[in-house]
Amino acid sequence: MTYFVIFLGVCFMLGTLAVASNPSPYYGVVGLVLASVVGCGWLVNLGVSFISLVLFMIYLGGMLVVFVYSVSLAADPYPEAWGSWRVVVYGLGFVLVVCVGVVLGGFVDFWKVGVVTVDSGGVSFVRFDFSGVAVFYSCGVGLFLVAGWGLLLVLFVVLELVRGLSRGAIRAV
Amino acid sequence: MSPLHFSFYSAFTFSSLGLAFHRTHLISALLCLESMMLSMFIPLSMWPVQNQTPSFTITPILMLAFSACEAGTGLAMLVASTRTHGSDHLHNLNLLQC
Repeated sequence: MTYFVIFLGVCFMLGTLAVASNPSPYYGVVGLVLASVVGCGWLVNLGVSFISLVLFMIYLGGMLVVFVYSVSLAADPYPEAWGSWRVVVYGLGFVLVVCVGVVLGGFVDFWKVGVVTVDSGGVSFVRFDFSGVAVFYSCGVGLFLVAGWGLLLVLFVVLELVRGLSRGAIRAV
Repeated sequence: MSPLHFSFYSAFTFSSLGLAFHRTHLISALLCLESMMLSMFIPLSMWPVQNQTPSFTITPILMLAFSACEAGTGLAMLVASTRTHGSDHLHNLNLLQC
C-alpha cells in the first residue's frame, strides 16, 4: 500500500512534467487530467475522500472542461506531438533542475512515509474532512461570504474582459 | 524529505519552470498556472491530516474557489487576445518593444 501511494506520487510528478514540457496545449491538458486524477487517488489513500471528490468535481469537472474548450479555441490545427527533440530537452532540463534542488537541499530520511488515520474527530465521530469543511459555514462564515462575493465579482470581470469595447458583446471569434 | 513531500515539491517546481519558459501559446502558461494550483491543493489537504487539525480543511476549498476566479480571468484574457490579434501567440503581445 505504501508503494502504491509512492507510485501515485510519481505519477503526479510525471503529469506535471507533461504539462510543463508540453509540445502543444492538447497534450498539456492530458497531463493535467492525469495529475488531477492521480492526486484525487492520493487524497483517497490518505483518508480525506471528501476533499478528493471536491477536487474531482470542481477542478476536473468544472475548470478543466472550460480549459479544454479554450484549448480548442486557441491551439494549432496541426499540433506537434510528443516525439520531438524540443520536448525531450525541456523535460530533461526540468528534471535536472529538480534533482539539483534536491541535492542542494539535502536528501535526509527518504523512506519515512507517515500518514495518520482520519476517521474520528472528538466524541461525536464525524468524518475529519466533513467536519473541517463544515466549519466554513459556521465559524468561518465571513470567509465564506468573502469568497462568494469574489466569485460574483469575477463574473463581471470576465464579462468586461471579453466585451470587445465598442464592438458589441457577442462577436464571432 | 519524505517521498510524498518530494512529489509535490517537484510538481510545483516543474509547473513554475513551465510557466517561466513559456513558448508559443498563452494557454500553455495558463495550464502551468493551473498545475501550480493543483500541486498546492494536494499539500494543503495533506497538512490538516498530518497535524490532526480538522479546521484547516477549509484552506484547500477556499484555494479552489479563488483559483477558479483566477482561471476564469486568465481564460477571459485569452479570449480577448484571440479576438484582437487572431491567435493567442505570445509574440502578439509586443507593446513593450524589447
